[in-house]
Amino acid sequence: MSRGSISITGIGKEFGTATVLDQVDLAIDGGSFVTLLGPSGCGKTTLLRLIAGFLEPSRGTIAIDGASMQGVPPRHRPLGMVFQNLALFPHLDVFENVAYGLKVRGAPATDIAGKVSRFLGLVGLAGFERRRIGQLSGGQKQRVALARSLALEPAILLLDEPLSALDLQLRRQLQVELKSIQRQLATTFVFVTHDQEEATMLSDTIVVMNGGHVQQVGTPDAIYRRPASPFVARFVGDINMLEGRITSLDTASVSVSVAERQISVPRSALVGTPSVGKACQLACRPESVRLGEAADDALSLDARISALHRLGPTMKVVLQGPLGPLTALMMADVPHVADLAEGKTVRLSVPSHSLTLFVST
Amino acid sequence: MRRPVRPPSSRQASPPAPDMRGATSAPRSLGWLLLPVLLVLALFLGSVALLFFHAFWGKDGFSLVYFRQILERADYHEVFLRTVSIAAIVAVASAVLAYPIAWLLWRLPRWRNLLLVIVLVPWLVSLVVRTYGWLVILGPKGFLNETLKWAGVIQSPVPLIFNDLGVVIGLTHVLMPFAVIATLSVLLQIDNRLEEASESLGAGGFETWRRVVLPLSLPGVFTGLSITFLTSMGAIVTPILLGGIRQKMAGTQIYQEVVYNFNMSKASTWAICLLLLSGLGLALLRAAEAALVPKADR
Repeated sequence: MSRGSISITGIGKEFGTATVLDQVDLAIDGGSFVTLLGPSGCGKTTLLRLIAGFLEPSRGTIAIDGASMQGVPPRHRPLGMVFQNLALFPHLDVFENVAYGLKVRGAPATDIAGKVSRFLGLVGLAGFERRRIGQLSGGQKQRVALARSLALEPAILLLDEPLSALDLQLRRQLQVELKSIQRQLATTFVFVTHDQEEATMLSDTIVVMNGGHVQQVGTPDAIYRRPASPFVARFVGDINMLEGRITSLDTASVSVSVAERQISVPRSALVGTPSVGKACQLACRPESVRLGEAADDALSLDARISALHRLGPTMKVVLQGPLGPLTALMMADVPHVADLAEGKTVRLSVPSHSLTLFVST
Repeated sequence: MRRPVRPPSSRQASPPAPDMRGATSAPRSLGWLLLPVLLVLALFLGSVALLFFHAFWGKDGFSLVYFRQILERADYHEVFLRTVSIAAIVAVASAVLAYPIAWLLWRLPRWRNLLLVIVLVPWLVSLVVRTYGWLVILGPKGFLNETLKWAGVIQSPVPLIFNDLGVVIGLTHVLMPFAVIATLSVLLQIDNRLEEASESLGAGGFETWRRVVLPLSLPGVFTGLSITFLTSMGAIVTPILLGGIRQKMAGTQIYQEVVYNFNMSKASTWAICLLLLSGLGLALLRAAEAALVPKADR
């Protein structure tokens, strides 16, 4: 295993009487880009601060490369941190900010100069050495913060929503650069965000958190296509959810009644243990909903178009059918999209492999 | 970084900024709210004008006799030198003593309000009473001398008051809370993530203080220095009560000219010289601050 692996076992954290993290187990591979994704208050930042050592866990252990971090102060942990507000030293210039850790460590001046110029080059800020922090743009500050935390060449870099204050275009650009820097250095990046697109774009592994628990750990693709719970399904993108009840079971499929219609769902779509009479939620992503095609899919019905929304290159179609509202998403330049109009009735279908059935617990 | 309030003297001296009038969108009918400001300004400018009139215009018309006197008399030079020296020592002593107190208040948010009350409670007692308190402690038959004598450390009382030392002790006691508040107000503006950032980059507590907290708190230290220096320059009560009879400060000399000798011209001349010296001291402090604190912070 490469340098910078983190193993988190049975971590719990309470602030007073409030439980912020409960029984979190997580193994992070060295050299990977891991995102802690969840809504605000889910405990993701607390988990990051526990790894950093700014907080001590109420229960459980954290180990980095096999060494327990219990009682180890942040300055002795092999990690760097990029703070949400960046926390650049306002009284120092760009060079001094990046050199800070090296100076504290007592590195010789020539080493410091070499490393500072190397890392400023890496983040694309060569020539900015003598700028003051107040003279930098948001994106440049971001780069200085990154260079500062990388200058000590830590095995692990913790990033606490560092891009959240930037506008969308700059954020996208920095995401690409961040990922390329991570690949070059092979440093473990643990990135906290509430933005699922950001998480999908950056990560090797996404850790979805909610209410102090880890909901699901997986690749962006697995999390999107096979969400482990309705919460994860909703959090990582739009999804249609139909409330229903299980009416019968056999070895290959499950029959579900939704709004008095019987739908047969393959067992492979199932999340949870089914039994007859149990409430369930049938889910499909909007891009899996097909319009105007006669198909013998699991779900096939007529619905009226109640609204059309153009979103960049895509068209979002809001449909009102016998099962309730459904949303379909398709590329706007597909020929038959031009025929769609509000008020028109169309045939919609969802292939059975695109369905997920969550059995309520 | 926002700067704490400047000492009043430097604010009053500057005229109201002209662009302020254009910036307000208040209806014209609220113009009467400016009246108190204008009244204060008129009184201030009026008294300054009167000061200059008295200084240059004696009983026999225009005269520079008291300026010449100050330039020529060695005993007056000594008074001004003593005034500036005592003010400088008091300013530095206040800043040095106030810093750990302010740091402690900043570090202990739970106790901050209580500790702040303890720092400020002397202000509830009249200056004269507080100063007399020092007589009881520092006097020849005071608590400190009697204790040291009883312990056998000294045979005869050490002169702690009725000299320059007494004035320094008294003024430092009175003015230190200003330095505490000036320093604390700047410390409180420091983002505590900066300390975490420093820690995550390998620095321990002292290293973080030396490299991050101290440089960022210097503007507050300088504000404290300015306030205590300027206030000490004009001190009257403390030097009268705790100073030597012959060791006058500029403030006590002016007080004597006004109250006992009714010599307004001489008092005004002294006041102008004192003002010039204070301005010079303030300019030096500003220059020192500019050299020590990087521009982006200010």
